[in-house]
Amino acid sequence: MAVPGHRLDRMFNPKTVVVIGDKGPGYMWLKNNQPFKDKGGNLYSVQIDEKEIPGIEELGITNFTSLADVPEPVDYAVVAVPRHISPYVLKDLIEAQAAGAAFFTSGFAETGEELGITLQEQLTAMAREAGFNVVGPNCMGLYLPKVGVRFSADVPVAQDGRVGFVSQSGTHSIMFSLVMGTNGMHLSRCASFGNAIVLDISDYLEYLTEDPETDVIAMYVEGVKDGPRFVKALRAASARKPVVVWKGGQTDAGARATMSHTASLASPHAVWRGIMRQCGAISTDSLDETIDVVKLLLYTKPSAGRRMALMAMTGGQSVSITDAFGKQGFEVGRLSGDSYEELSSFFNIVGGSYQNPLDMAGTVQGKTEVLERILGILDADESVDALAMEQSAMFGARQWKEHPERLDELLDTLAKHIDGSTKPFLMVMHPAHEEAFVAELRLKFAERRIPVFPSFERAAAAAARALPLGARA
Amino acid sequence: MTFADTVARARAENRTLLSEVEAKAALAEAGLHVTATTLATSRDEAVAQAAAAGYPVALKVVSPNIAHKSDVGGVRLGLADGEAVAEAYDAILASVKAAQPDAIVGGISVQQMAAPGTEVIVGMTTDAQFGPVMMFGLGGIMVEVLGDVAFRLIPLGEGDAEDMIDEIQGRQVLEGVRGQRPVDMAALEGTLRGVSAFVAAHPDVQELDLNPVIASPEGAVAVDARIVLAEG
Repeated sequence: MAVPGHRLDRMFNPKTVVVIGDKGPGYMWLKNNQPFKDKGGNLYSVQIDEKEIPGIEELGITNFTSLADVPEPVDYAVVAVPRHISPYVLKDLIEAQAAGAAFFTSGFAETGEELGITLQEQLTAMAREAGFNVVGPNCMGLYLPKVGVRFSADVPVAQDGRVGFVSQSGTHSIMFSLVMGTNGMHLSRCASFGNAIVLDISDYLEYLTEDPETDVIAMYVEGVKDGPRFVKALRAASARKPVVVWKGGQTDAGARATMSHTASLASPHAVWRGIMRQCGAISTDSLDETIDVVKLLLYTKPSAGRRMALMAMTGGQSVSITDAFGKQGFEVGRLSGDSYEELSSFFNIVGGSYQNPLDMAGTVQGKTEVLERILGILDADESVDALAMEQSAMFGARQWKEHPERLDELLDTLAKHIDGSTKPFLMVMHPAHEEAFVAELRLKFAERRIPVFPSFERAAAAAARALPLGARA
Repeated sequence: MTFADTVARARAENRTLLSEVEAKAALAEAGLHVTATTLATSRDEAVAQAAAAGYPVALKVVSPNIAHKSDVGGVRLGLADGEAVAEAYDAILASVKAAQPDAIVGGISVQQMAAPGTEVIVGMTTDAQFGPVMMFGLGGIMVEVLGDVAFRLIPLGEGDAEDMIDEIQGRQVLEGVRGQRPVDMAALEGTLRGVSAFVAAHPDVQELDLNPVIASPEGAVAVDARIVLAEG
């Protein structure tokens, strides 16, 4: 699967990957990309330093002392040479007609010093003249989990990724990939683009827009070089699939000297927010918020409105879940008369309630057929647009450990409900005293495509951002 | 005088800030609703213009180098007759001279008073990264302290004006609280769209403030306007 004809297509679907200038004892880049070789890709090293070559060969990777010796067309190269060598390497890459390269090498314009700036200008001029695809420099490059091209040895190799990520920061791209993984979600394609001297955010965004393997696009941005082009690309992307934009650098330093009131109020952050909304993108402020919104976009259906049916296991939790969703502008109103009539026929109101929010542990008592019945009633209720349910590890963890089949039964019931329903469903499970156990559970939820959140507040915040977009789509 | 003439005159006089009278004339020409405003250069002219506009009127100093007219005693509101206008004319000149001796006074504007309503701000500025952007917010404290404003790129697209108004925290004030009638939303949206169209048609405009626009159940009218041109 690919986007034929796009300038990034060969790089994003490589058959041959070359690491240039990797060094021992760690051989970080060769080890990062070992899975690519294991999956049958051609992984080569180019290194002229004789001291380094034995260590490379010990990894089972063929080394060449010149890029020209690589027998296959190079689809993607990772360059890790010292900065003053980088123009020579770029020249070789251009001559070898490689499809593109990421320069992990840093020490360019980001240093603010003359040599770095000059070298960056030199690379830029060479690459632009040749129309060569440079990712970076000063970046972690591409992460292609399906083929095993990686920017860290810790990030997963996985076939089921449906989320594209583009990031100005290398750290955020690795962190996003890792935390997505702990939530059981994987990436389709990812680019950490650093100084963006040739390829900029809009190029990657355009590819992911067309990419049939990407359902949701997320990105981390600090600033864009070509505002109008970014707006155009973002509008086009948002029209095709949900786009989540995590903006870094949001505090506006200092007052601006301006002649008009409007200009004095036009902080870059305020203007950015407005433009994101106008483009149909979802704004987020942090890693966790981005992950939460992506999760909801991946797993839930569009919402028709803001009327929630809320379910909790106890009285205290039913108050808290209502507070959290209320604060985010959701309505927690009366259910229809039919729903009340049906619920009243079997609900245990001693220590419980079938008013919205439902306080239902005493009624469900671990019986999935009762839960299924309640979910069915709420699903059929025309005064309900979306459902959220709390289930605490505080009560559940011990019995789920003793009887794993009960947990599977619960998850299957929820998954079956989601499959048969047209309304968004959110699960909230606070880990309480069982952090490690709930971390494992998150993967089980992900397998069944049930969006689960660790707190009411995070669930409600994600719903407020993601569900209205669903409603528009 | 068309807007092109106004721009040409400002360029000839080597200034980028248009006077309130010039700005309102340009916006009225573009079909925006502004309070009728004329320039008086004598007390008698002011009294005559006030009678023609209909009482009550407001008087405001016109000066290219006064940033905030009310801070120097340059604004008098709710003048009910000719005597009050004559007295206010002299008082403004005296007060401005005392507060800012270097002020260049080009006259005093005589303006219709708008009917009471909710003050909002409609503005435009040029973002270094993205180009011309529109702003909408409630007037006064909501804007000043809370920064409760919404921005959009110009030109506004389908639904953008409605969405800008919907985005601000204080929108309920416009929808009518405590028994007040809601303001004329269609008129307010029309003001936003009108400013967007005006700016899109005139790339010379770098900043624009309609502050305040008085929004009421009867409509939306700009009672003060400021336009800053890009450096020629």
